Amino acid sequence: MAAPTLRRRRSGTGRRRAIGWLFVAPFGVVFLVFLVGPLVYAFYLSLYSQGLATGTVFVGLGNYVQAFTDAKFLNGVLFVLVFSVVLIPIQMLVSLAAALVLDVVTTRLARFSRLMIFVPYAVPAVIGALMWGFLYSPSFGPIGDFARLFHTSAPSILDSNLLFGGLLNVVTWQWAGYYMIIIYAALQGIDPSLYEAAHIDGANAWQIALRIKIPMVGSALVLILVFALIGTLQFFSEPKMLTPMSNGHITPSFTPNIYAFNLAFSYSQFNYASAISFALGIVIFIAVYVFLFVSRRRGRIL
Amino acid sequence: MTAIANGRTAARSSGRAATGRRIARRRPQVGAHVFLLVLVVYFLMPLWWVIVASTKDAHGLFAGSAGTLWFDKNFHLIQNLQLLFTYDQGIYLRWLGNSAMYALAGGLGATILAVLAGYGFAKYDFQGRSFSFALLLGSVMVPLTALVIPTFMMLSQVHLTDTVWAVILPSLLNPFGVYLMRVYIADAVPDELLDAARVDGAGEARTFFRVAFPLMRPAVVTVLLLSIVGTWNNYFLPLAVLSSSKLFPITVGLGLWEGLASSNSGTGTVSLWTVIVTGSLVAVIPLIIAFLALQRYWQGGLAIGSLK
Amino acid sequence: MRTPKIAAIAATSAVLIALAACSGPSVGGSGGDGTAKADTSTKSNPVDTSTCTNKIQDAKAPVVTMWSWSPTAQVAVDAFNAAHHDVQICWTNAGAGADEYNKFSTAIAAGKGAPDVVMLETEVLTSFEIKNALVDLAPYDTKGELEKAFGAGTLKDISQGGDVYAVPDDGGPVALMYRKDIFDQYGLTVPKTWDEYAADAQKLKDAGGPLIGDWPADTPAFTQAMFNQKGAKTFDYRLADKTKLGLDVDNAPSVQVLQYWQDLVDKKLVSTAGQSTTDFTSALVGGQLATMIAPSWEPGHLVSAGIKPGADSPWRVAPLPQWKAGDDVQVNWGGSTYAVTSQAVSKKLAAEVAIGIFAHETPTTIGAHFPLHLEAQKASWFQGANDPFFGNQASNKEVWIPAASGYKGAVYSPFQPYYEAQLIQALGKVIPGDQTPKQALGALQKDISSYAQKQGFQVK
Repeated sequence: MAAPTLRRRRSGTGRRRAIGWLFVAPFGVVFLVFLVGPLVYAFYLSLYSQGLATGTVFVGLGNYVQAFTDAKFLNGVLFVLVFSVVLIPIQMLVSLAAALVLDVVTTRLARFSRLMIFVPYAVPAVIGALMWGFLYSPSFGPIGDFARLFHTSAPSILDSNLLFGGLLNVVTWQWAGYYMIIIYAALQGIDPSLYEAAHIDGANAWQIALRIKIPMVGSALVLILVFALIGTLQFFSEPKMLTPMSNGHITPSFTPNIYAFNLAFSYSQFNYASAISFALGIVIFIAVYVFLFVSRRRGRIL
Repeated sequence: MTAIANGRTAARSSGRAATGRRIARRRPQVGAHVFLLVLVVYFLMPLWWVIVASTKDAHGLFAGSAGTLWFDKNFHLIQNLQLLFTYDQGIYLRWLGNSAMYALAGGLGATILAVLAGYGFAKYDFQGRSFSFALLLGSVMVPLTALVIPTFMMLSQVHLTDTVWAVILPSLLNPFGVYLMRVYIADAVPDELLDAARVDGAGEARTFFRVAFPLMRPAVVTVLLLSIVGTWNNYFLPLAVLSSSKLFPITVGLGLWEGLASSNSGTGTVSLWTVIVTGSLVAVIPLIIAFLALQRYWQGGLAIGSLK
Repeated sequence: MRTPKIAAIAATSAVLIALAACSGPSVGGSGGDGTAKADTSTKSNPVDTSTCTNKIQDAKAPVVTMWSWSPTAQVAVDAFNAAHHDVQICWTNAGAGADEYNKFSTAIAAGKGAPDVVMLETEVLTSFEIKNALVDLAPYDTKGELEKAFGAGTLKDISQGGDVYAVPDDGGPVALMYRKDIFDQYGLTVPKTWDEYAADAQKLKDAGGPLIGDWPADTPAFTQAMFNQKGAKTFDYRLADKTKLGLDVDNAPSVQVLQYWQDLVDKKLVSTAGQSTTDFTSALVGGQLATMIAPSWEPGHLVSAGIKPGADSPWRVAPLPQWKAGDDVQVNWGGSTYAVTSQAVSKKLAAEVAIGIFAHETPTTIGAHFPLHLEAQKASWFQGANDPFFGNQASNKEVWIPAASGYKGAVYSPFQPYYEAQLIQALGKVIPGDQTPKQALGALQKDISSYAQKQGFQVK
């Protein structure tokens, strides 16, 4: 038993350092095996190519050259980029507005609303997409009902130019509540004395929201935006589930992840699929860093 | 301004109620309530549709008597449920069980790993700590779905595809959970407490369990909930690594039925659409109940991630 | 436990886990590295029979695993298991069409997870033959049954040179399904040529009636069958000459067929709903479509959607319209075959299953099938059958049997899933009018050609 000592022990002895590694090690193993490993293996695979009529051949970076000149991949990237640029502001607007309103109103309806708005997060994306697919259907959903009321024919949302809007709606529905709760929790952390000071200065509720609340939850907003961006660029589950209902509008290369999936599991082109996955990862890294740079909050996040 | 600088560290609960009361004394805020009502209707409508649709039979689904948002004249819910649970030898219940197993095993496992690693990062100063942590942060940005295909390839090399481990093992990876735990522990577990325990002769393990862990509970619950929900909702990974339908989680199972129903081939005398709709209803109920029951925990917990 | 709520949730979770754990996680069926084993006993063939959808009737016999989405699989498997003591079938439905093909391709690539016997449509046989996923059945057909059992067109589809890669079950002869009540109401005659079909379509529209039919973008097997009927030779491929591929996607007949249907679309005479959507099914069920160019297995699908067969059913069936009056060019859409996979544990037993399972159809096992076995086609109970779906019309004798016997086979590509996915995209550009048929097929030709070259084929 060591004698009590006045020496600061925070800088750690060798034994303490080893213990630190011990705590981190289990996660570290999983990290190496299931994150670093697949990344390395994917890169290795992506350097080869296998044809149906030929064997496996080393092609170096040939797959990447092909990927970045592949119209299917590039169109998929364009789609998810455009989709993100349109979707994320809409999601943020809805979540922010809801959180701000809920911060002010404290009736029972408000508490109930807070819960109900969050419920879609508990619904798996796959099932949410399925439900909206039915709702969009002119025969299964209420849109057909409304159209019949007005004696017009219902538009087939998934089978037309409205597909973009249809998907926007599904994703907003799924995630707005989750983001709202995060913003709401951040709002709860603001010192109310700020509001009192603002009232004394004559500010009304709108001005308080704009000038005080939003800036104070800024870092939470940026965090959400980054995760929303990463998630949306990986768009997969909803369009995959809705493909049968889209009469071919959701193509096999609709998003880069869907393209990679089909390359691997429909056409058995695992090498090229790995290259596409890597290429998507590169696109996401670039997009996130560009975004962080533009929002100039790099320092605060890390 | 001092007020703003102190804003984040001031006590959170003081004055909240006072502000609320003050504002409530003003106009009745009809606009805000209407807005909230619209949101509630929007967010609940699909669930309402699923409830109504689950009470209809195939004919009612395709050509119901009262439109699509209200009940048909035949109330078929019990029959639909019976059909759902007996279709194809009761595989639906199997799928539900699988989802629960993956979610709990994967979620629990991921949480344990995240808690341990977060504690290690926060409270021990070891060589390579900052490098490892930076690596961790970078990995949060790696699109996890981009890992699925090479993970499949790796698993197939060791003949682990189409087993439960193919889903559970990759689900143990939760870098964001480690980040959350590290942030929380750094704030919530004071070094002095740990030192005091060590001075009293406690080993590292006992220090962790007896002193540190009780202080981490809100964050642990948050990470646990997020991990469980994430694994329960996972679609891409199990779709890629599983091919036996008996191992499917509910997400992949319903996807399989949707493919069958959409394919232009006879499925016998059962219209799969009724089973799919009813199956969707039953699949969302567990998580919704869990969320409603545990709201106290996650509502507080999600604050941790947003505050820095 | 701190609160009762946590306890409740823990209890529920425990129940759910128990449900899944009951039968335990076990490795699926006939794993293996493809090396042939001699007739196996259950010792070396550890199939977990609790996963079969059917019941094993003789627990001592070795088990062969099978994937099939056929609606009559249950009946056929039970009949087979009852009659055999040397082998039993363990059947599951692993998905329909492309879903099952994805799983099968992946299992072949991963080296494990494929069943012993797999159901495949004829159009994808070549695509799996080239991956060495299928076993030649000729050596197991000791009595030479296969050659005698099927028509010439069918035999061509399942063979490559002298090798036979799959045993047909049902076929998809294509005919014209029409609503007799709508035709009578609007004074239409049943069209025998495509010109007459278009004329009927216009007549219906002018009289304010429903649309004549549907032209989808998402059903490539149907579209290709229509191309083939006009004489399109999209592919020329033989497995014996593995690397050479003849490719003519934008051939003139295909362009003409697309143009014909696009005219109907532009004049708003046909619906463009996808046939995988519920909207198409409900339009058909609800009487908004007067006809459907349908394969023989379509009625089975419609019965499960709520159409009631019987003497007062308004549907009838007539032979497929022709391009030239008096012609008899027949096509095939879908239909199924059963192949033995390279991962089969016992190729001999698997071959026995594949060859025997649908070899002797009876009125009970037939369901809504059109059997390709000539024995069943010639049976008097089949020839004289009155189909209640078509109001007790003698549809086999009048329509389906002549259509099947007129079928001369087709050639498919060695990458049919890829081709069909691209064809869907091409149709998706033509139907809304974004591209002309010639442009879309020209683009498709370029895409397929470059894909084939990247795969190592020599394209001519």
